[in-house]
This record gives sequence, C-alpha cells and structure tokens, in this order.
Amino acid sequence: MSDIIKFADAEVGSEAPVLTHMLGRTDLVIYAGASGDFNPMHTDEVVATSVGQPSVFGHGMFSMGILGTALTGWVGIENIKSFGVRFTKQTWPGEVLSTNIKVTSIDQVGNKTIVSLDCSLMNQDGQVKVQGTATAWRS
Amino acid sequence: MTDYSEYVGRATSNSVVVIERGPVANFARALKSEESYFYNVKDAQDRGLKGIPALPTFPFVMEHWGLFLELQPEEKLSGNPVIEVLGPLMANGGLILHGEQAFEFERPLVSGDVLEGKGQVVECYQKESNGHVMTFVVTETVWSDFNTKEKVVTSRSNVIHRA
Repeated sequence: MSDIIKFADAEVGSEAPVLTHMLGRTDLVIYAGASGDFNPMHTDEVVATSVGQPSVFGHGMFSMGILGTALTGWVGIENIKSFGVRFTKQTWPGEVLSTNIKVTSIDQVGNKTIVSLDCSLMNQDGQVKVQGTATAWRS
Repeated sequence: MTDYSEYVGRATSNSVVVIERGPVANFARALKSEESYFYNVKDAQDRGLKGIPALPTFPFVMEHWGLFLELQPEEKLSGNPVIEVLGPLMANGGLILHGEQAFEFERPLVSGDVLEGKGQVVECYQKESNGHVMTFVVTETVWSDFNTKEKVVTSRSNVIHRA
C-alpha cells in the first residue's frame, strides 16, 4: 500500500484510499430498508433459490453506493459534479468487494479545477462488478 | 426489431420530494460511510452545507422516503411509458436489467431540500446482442429546487429487457 494521498494533492494517476467490505446478507437487508428496494432477490433466500439463483445477490445500487461512499470520502460530498457507472456483474454474499478510484485528468475550467476519475468495484478475484467515471471540483 | 422512437420524450414522472435528515443519515450508514458530516449537522455546517448531505446515489431512492402525497402536483401523467414498453416484453419472459446509472450534480442534496422532479424517456431502442433481443429504455429525471427552481441533480437510468 502506498501512502494516502489527499484529494487536494492528487495528480493524474493518484488513487483514492481503497474501501474494502465483505458483503453479508445483513448488509443487503439494511440497504433494502434504507433504499426501499425490497426486491426479494436481494433479501429472501427462499425466493431467490426457488428461481434458480445460488443465493440472494446484492442490489446493483448497493455496489454503486459503496463506490460512491469511497468517492465521497476522498473528494468531499460538496465537490462531486458527476458520477456514473455501468453494472457488469452481480455481487454475492461472502465476496470481498473493494473500490478502485484513480485520477485520469485534471483540467482548468475558468478559475476552477475539475478532476476526472475512473472508478470501479471488484471482488477478491478482480472481477469487476461496476465500472464508471466521476468528476469532482477542486478549489 | 420494433421501432420505439415514439416513446422518446414521453413523461415518466412528475413529483415533489422532501429530503429529511434521518433517511439520508441512514442511507449513509447502510453504505458504510464514516464521514462525520452525515451524522453531525455541525460538521456539515462547517463544510458550508445547509443541512446533512445525501450520498451521491440517494437521488435514486429519495422518492421512497420523501414523496409526500399532499405535495404532489395535481397534474397527473397519462400512463407510464417504461411500463408500456417493458410490460408486453416481460409477458413473454426475459429479464429486466439495470444497465447503467448516472448522476450530474449542480450541488449536493441536503436535509431541508424540497425538490421537484420531471422525468422523461430520452432513448428507447432495440438491438441484438449474442442472439438476444435487447430493449433499452433510457430515462432522465431533472430535479430542481422547488423554491428557487434552480437545477440540483439530473439522474439518468438505462434499463434493459433481455429476451
């Protein structure tokens, strides 16, 4: 692990601190309650397995949300200009998810600086779950 | 392939939501954020925020928490174009997938905000991929401050039916 770089000091290629989380079924129940997404595929093992899924699986927006937490922690909530992802794979209980956020460009827009980032969430085997980009203002 | 171009521009939503402290803090907790400004309003104010902010994906769920019936516009939409497209497809089976999601912010959402959202279909098309007919419905909702009418966030969703 390299030293933690502050967003204020980040250069092209700098990376945000990695947020790592082992996905548990309780996380999905908590997220269901916090989001209002009660699709049983995410919370009810009986229903999920009855339609051929190996178990419940994570909400796509939980994956994006965890990535959003790491992004927010680094750049600051008031600086986020955009955040978008593509959902590529389901997440499963027991997987260890980790965030990857890296600066791809730093541009001057008038008297403001805008930082572009690549961001993704992957499991312990490097399988990408969501992949996208973000932009953030920097004073 | 079906031509769905007539759906582009159709309204998907017209609603008013209230952002409250409890739901945004709980949402931050559910997504494992440890930033103190989600839980302590003084820390939020120290950052120049008027209230407890919401994590960037909160716009996706805020209607669940803050859509109070007495605040809704009287004008009702006629039909839901997303259901009109996906309903008949699902009747023949297949899967609905959330393909992409994006947010564009003018400022963070904070507790105390009242936001007015207008959604519409911005793209609707079919294509074939690996032998599957894929139907894409892209919707965009622009959320503005109810009082100042200033734009706050635009949420864009790509929902896919895979036959």
